Amino acid sequence: MSVVVLAGTKKGLFLFRSDEGRREWMLEGPHLEGWSVYHAILDERDGVLHACTNHEVYGATAHRSLDGGNTWERAEKLGLPEDSELKLERTWHVEPGHVDEPKMLWLGAAPGVLFRSDDGGTTWDVVEGLLNHPTRDRWFPGAGGMCCHSIQLDPADVKRLHIGISAAGVFRTEDGGEHWAPVNSGTAADFLPDPYPELGQCVHKLLRCADSPRLWQQNHCGVYRSDDGGDSWERLDGNGLPSGFGFALALHPQDPDTAFVVPIEGAENRVTSDGRLGVYRTSDGGASWALSMGGLPEHAWTGVLREGMASDKLDPLGLYLGAQSGSVFASADEGKTWNEVASQLPPVLSVEVGEWS
Amino acid sequence: MVVVLLPALLATEAGGQNRFEVEAATVEEALLALPVKDRVFDEQGSLRPLVNVYVDGVDVRERGGLSAELAGAEEIRLVGAIAGG
Repeated sequence: MSVVVLAGTKKGLFLFRSDEGRREWMLEGPHLEGWSVYHAILDERDGVLHACTNHEVYGATAHRSLDGGNTWERAEKLGLPEDSELKLERTWHVEPGHVDEPKMLWLGAAPGVLFRSDDGGTTWDVVEGLLNHPTRDRWFPGAGGMCCHSIQLDPADVKRLHIGISAAGVFRTEDGGEHWAPVNSGTAADFLPDPYPELGQCVHKLLRCADSPRLWQQNHCGVYRSDDGGDSWERLDGNGLPSGFGFALALHPQDPDTAFVVPIEGAENRVTSDGRLGVYRTSDGGASWALSMGGLPEHAWTGVLREGMASDKLDPLGLYLGAQSGSVFASADEGKTWNEVASQLPPVLSVEVGEWS
Repeated sequence: MVVVLLPALLATEAGGQNRFEVEAATVEEALLALPVKDRVFDEQGSLRPLVNVYVDGVDVRERGGLSAELAGAEEIRLVGAIAGG
């Protein structure tokens, strides 16, 4: 078994390979040269690599590699229907479907749209239920555009998904995408006249625990947890976090009470809090947070974006962090100690990890 | 027959080929014959705004646009605008 970390950067994709010990990393790349890789994954169901690829001149698309990154092919069909009068702006997140739907994938994009592929990423069809959502005229773009950036599946129910869109909020479907309900009760939008609206919240990152229905989100306005599928949210950033603002979020696959965030000073000064690259951990469901940054830079004014942190499924838990300064860090002991496995890369936009059997 | 020359990134996307010979009556027809037409045009059929098209060295906008007849033209060159970071 080998572990591969996929670091999507502003200029291409870099892969880091290691064994289960995760001490030595072998750098490979860049792949997809010239493309901004907003997110890339190893689909552990079939070993295919998928990437959300964007270019200032040549637009937004997706690529996949069937041979571990040696060669890449671009999606044959990925765009919005003519009658929508919308154009695909950027692709943001690709998510494998259920284990029992082996060629099925989801892809989130701007402007606030979701696609599904039933042929392993060759062609993508827009999810009409979200495209034509009755509240769409009340959504507006955040600083990164109106991006659908989070897609979380329910392992027990193939029809149930949660997504996050900036700045429309969190939505849930119970019927595979035909209908979507906004589920933002209790999450703040302090940049709006009504700070607790039905929708319009700027969710930055949404994750579901692996073996628990618990949801976590890092929002523009705080860190939240939901234990009822998003029907209500509890704010968790009052005890130990230097800032409620941030983008990156990682969970522990065996422990739903454990989460990791990287606080950012605030919306108007998007650098790491307190002038250091600090990962904060909670082990009590968000009741308290503690700094966990052995080996991370003590002096840093960088940024960690919404896809900038990932966790693996090994024991002890491995964590991975990519910064806009071009560094990638890895921890093989649940974030207690970190090693810089690469520096001077282009700005890191995304970090993911997968296991190759 | 007209020759279409692609910039490096589009040539990679076209399987490593930067030169195509196509039969076309207009500039648009020639570009639509490329395997990277989806990177040249968006899904609504508009030329991507930062893709510049030159026909025998002259900006296509000065030759009547994409619908310009190709009679006598020998080379279409695609150039990405100088933009972005």
